[in-house]
Amino acid sequence: MLKTMNRKISVVLILFSAGYLYLSYNLKEYPYVPVDSDLVPKALGFVLIGLAVLLFFDKSSEEEGEKKKRTVPKKEIGVMAAVGGMIFIYILLFEVIGFLLATALFIFFCSWFLGYDKWVSNVLVSLIFPSALYYLFNYLLQIRLPQGILPF
Amino acid sequence: MGALDGLMQGFQVAFSWEGILFVLIGVVTGTLIGMMPGLGPISAIAIMIPVTYGMNPSSALVMMAGVYYGAVFGGSTSSILLNAPGISGTVATSFDGYPMAQRGEAGKALAVAAISSFIGGTVSVVLLMLFAPALASVAISFGPPEYFALMFLGLTAISSLSDGSTVKALISATLGFMAATIGIDAQTGTNRFTFGNPNLMEGIDFLVIALGLFALAEVCFLILNRKDKSLSKQSDIGNLKLSRDDFKEMKGPMTRQSFLGFLLGVLPGAGATIASFIGYITEKRITKKPEEFGKGSIKGLSAPETANNAATSGAFVPLLSLGIPGSGTTAVMLGAFLVMGIQPGPLLVQDRPDVFWGIIASMYIGNVFLLILNLPLIPYIAKILKISRPLLISLVIIFSLIGVYSISFSTFDLYLLLAFGLLGYLMRLFSFPAAPFILAFILGGMMEQALRQALTASGGSLLVLVEDPISVGLLAVSFLSFIVPFIRKKREDNKQNQDAA
Amino acid sequence: MKKLWGLAILSLLVFTVACGEQSSGTTESDGEWKPDGNIEIVAPGGAGGGWDTTARSVGKVLEDQEIVENDVAVVNKPGGGGAVGWSYINSTNSPENIFVSSPPLIFVPLNGQSDLSYEDFTPLSNMIADYGAFAVADDAKWNNLNELFEDMKADPSSVTVVGASSPGSMDHMQFVKVAKAAGVDIQKIKYVSAQDGGALTQILNGSADVYSTGVAETIEQVKAGKIKVLGVTSEERLEGEVLSTFETAKEQGIDTTFVNWRGFFGPKDMSPEAVAYYEEKFKEVSESHAFADIRSKYGWDEMYMDSEAYKEFLKEQTEELGSLLEELGLGK
Repeated sequence: MLKTMNRKISVVLILFSAGYLYLSYNLKEYPYVPVDSDLVPKALGFVLIGLAVLLFFDKSSEEEGEKKKRTVPKKEIGVMAAVGGMIFIYILLFEVIGFLLATALFIFFCSWFLGYDKWVSNVLVSLIFPSALYYLFNYLLQIRLPQGILPF
Repeated sequence: MGALDGLMQGFQVAFSWEGILFVLIGVVTGTLIGMMPGLGPISAIAIMIPVTYGMNPSSALVMMAGVYYGAVFGGSTSSILLNAPGISGTVATSFDGYPMAQRGEAGKALAVAAISSFIGGTVSVVLLMLFAPALASVAISFGPPEYFALMFLGLTAISSLSDGSTVKALISATLGFMAATIGIDAQTGTNRFTFGNPNLMEGIDFLVIALGLFALAEVCFLILNRKDKSLSKQSDIGNLKLSRDDFKEMKGPMTRQSFLGFLLGVLPGAGATIASFIGYITEKRITKKPEEFGKGSIKGLSAPETANNAATSGAFVPLLSLGIPGSGTTAVMLGAFLVMGIQPGPLLVQDRPDVFWGIIASMYIGNVFLLILNLPLIPYIAKILKISRPLLISLVIIFSLIGVYSISFSTFDLYLLLAFGLLGYLMRLFSFPAAPFILAFILGGMMEQALRQALTASGGSLLVLVEDPISVGLLAVSFLSFIVPFIRKKREDNKQNQDAA
Repeated sequence: MKKLWGLAILSLLVFTVACGEQSSGTTESDGEWKPDGNIEIVAPGGAGGGWDTTARSVGKVLEDQEIVENDVAVVNKPGGGGAVGWSYINSTNSPENIFVSSPPLIFVPLNGQSDLSYEDFTPLSNMIADYGAFAVADDAKWNNLNELFEDMKADPSSVTVVGASSPGSMDHMQFVKVAKAAGVDIQKIKYVSAQDGGALTQILNGSADVYSTGVAETIEQVKAGKIKVLGVTSEERLEGEVLSTFETAKEQGIDTTFVNWRGFFGPKDMSPEAVAYYEEKFKEVSESHAFADIRSKYGWDEMYMDSEAYKEFLKEQTEELGSLLEELGLGK
């Protein structure tokens, strides 16, 4: 039954709208307006279910190009996941060790990981780019980025 | 004192050496700040307010205005080069600007954007000068029913924003609309879908979605293709020079969108974002080759860029002549006026003609400055694309993260950005277009509020939506624009069938 | 694959570093307290808003007039109508981190949108006051609050009130408070919330009837003859060219007021010495010429309160507004 990708997505969307509708029906009531905050969400939930059903029965097969786009080599998925993980760690550390350190480390390791092999310029960029941004934001624009463990 | 005298006085302010200097400082600062993702005109102006303490009010405000339109002008750069729109007004710019840059025509794309911005900015200043006081009545002619109709018109364009499956475009739009319902509902104070998380109570910031769906999703594809040598031409900047044909392409969108964008900018709440989307959509509807849109069409780039700059001048109409800030940016601008001891409003043109006309006159010079400053810089700015792929990827990621952080100052939004990046990647993988998502996110929220404001005032009667000629007209156009493509398609199908037979 | 392993180990390392909490200490000598390092003023809203403006202008006076020796940094923590900033202060819990607040600190917890209320913080000093105004289009049939409220008593649904904040917050509640004192059935008031200048537009084009806002927003429109102010919520007549023409609700026989106060708070457990330090510094700011200039620029009123008086004031406000919200069924 779930042969095509469209059908799988359709089921996911229906489950999602069911959850969304459940929350919509449990919104707190506000008695003083003719149209309460739940009307539009409820409508959207049902519209999405309707569209998902349409997608389920959508006969038009996908173009070859679209299918090809989806065949991503396993190794590349690993690379993307690793970059995603690095971003995650970056966010985790951002307010703890501060913008400067976190950004310098991120740029250096992320570029290196993706295959940037010019060591000197990598180090230079990882140092200069965050420092310039930090100076611009904190001192020129008075927008404070996290200082972290460094004294400036 | 007549308007002409006032205008003369305005030009005196603007053309004094002091005026010219401050316009220059303003537009340069504005463009530079606008180029940084996340730093849009709001932060640009807020940042500049303390700088202006103690300055002569008309010079200070001329500078602030320069910062404002300079930031809108500069905002297109990151949309075109990195697919990372820094402000909502330049999302539509990335639809065709980024594909152009991908094709190896980054220089040309930036030039088209700069020239369109210049034309949009300049034509709208003429309109502003001629009609500012008169247009004040237009600015307040829109009540909730009219806004509802306008947003509805914008939403009907969703089907035209996608090339593939209409169902997928509509699903994408519905999801975008759903994202807009997150947060405290303004009409009732009810917490919707926030799960008690204070970070979600004011809703998801537009930039989180734009940078996630566009920039980070693009990063995923950059990672995939990082070693693909055949794509090396993408790092070509291409020729800056626009041919006669290019200008011919741009002429239509630039003329139409200068006027349309200006008018939309005049309406409080509509502004540059809606102007750019509606500009893009109308041009796609009008053109004979809609299939080129979204793939690097000059028209598709020129239209939103003209419109968003025209709308920026338009936004000065309610601000200067009514004292009504129509957007977050003009609200901060109003704050800047107050700091100077000047209260914009119906009396400004009498009380302080030097300020009123000075700002308008300075916008002529400002736009010229922007053009002559930006054009020669294009080759250097476009060099960003020459950066080695792995390094560029890291920098784009950092740019997006900082862009979001400098608005929300919360790591929660950064995680959210990452999540939307993943969503954007999956959507592209399964051919769900991202543009309808973002359009519905922006328009849907406003449409819901307008609808419910109208219904609260009317006590629940739906008639209020069709009582006024403007809203009836807009709704009629929406229905037409919804139906016509279907009829046209039917006709073409029939024709093809006949040809085949 | 080797790279992946390297990364994994690296991330583990960084993670361990991250988990090691470090806290900034404060120096305390005999009775005198001095902040350690930068003073951080948190504005729980975005750039350009009311909290941001107050924080930045006070911060500027603190630095420029050399009232404090330390650097003063303004940090924006927008979100949740203030709740994000409050929980940030609550979690950093350092006496160098203070924040600016106003009536939403009362409304938001009462509406159930934040678990933290003023009782979870130390009120340091109140600085300024602003008042509410109720305006109608210049050609409206009402000329004072009593005429308006007579109509609303007869048929509350004939009048639409518009303001910028959502129901249960400032613009709504200041109107409700006055309407209640005048004897209107507050459960039947039609209130619409409109952002981005929409509220004033709706008055000018007749989509709504009454505009509930701050006094400063009305001055220019009144001067231009576009709108008229039926009443303001201050205790006494305000001073100023146009402001002095606005009748207060009290003068019209409606015995109530509403103050939009703005002041500074610190985290819950602050030493009395630290509180005394801030009280003194903020008093200096409040009395400086530089801040008087800023007040008149923005049309704010002076309203200094020290920590004790502030606490007392907030308690009264919470009780009063809490019972109103209760009656509307908006309380948590």
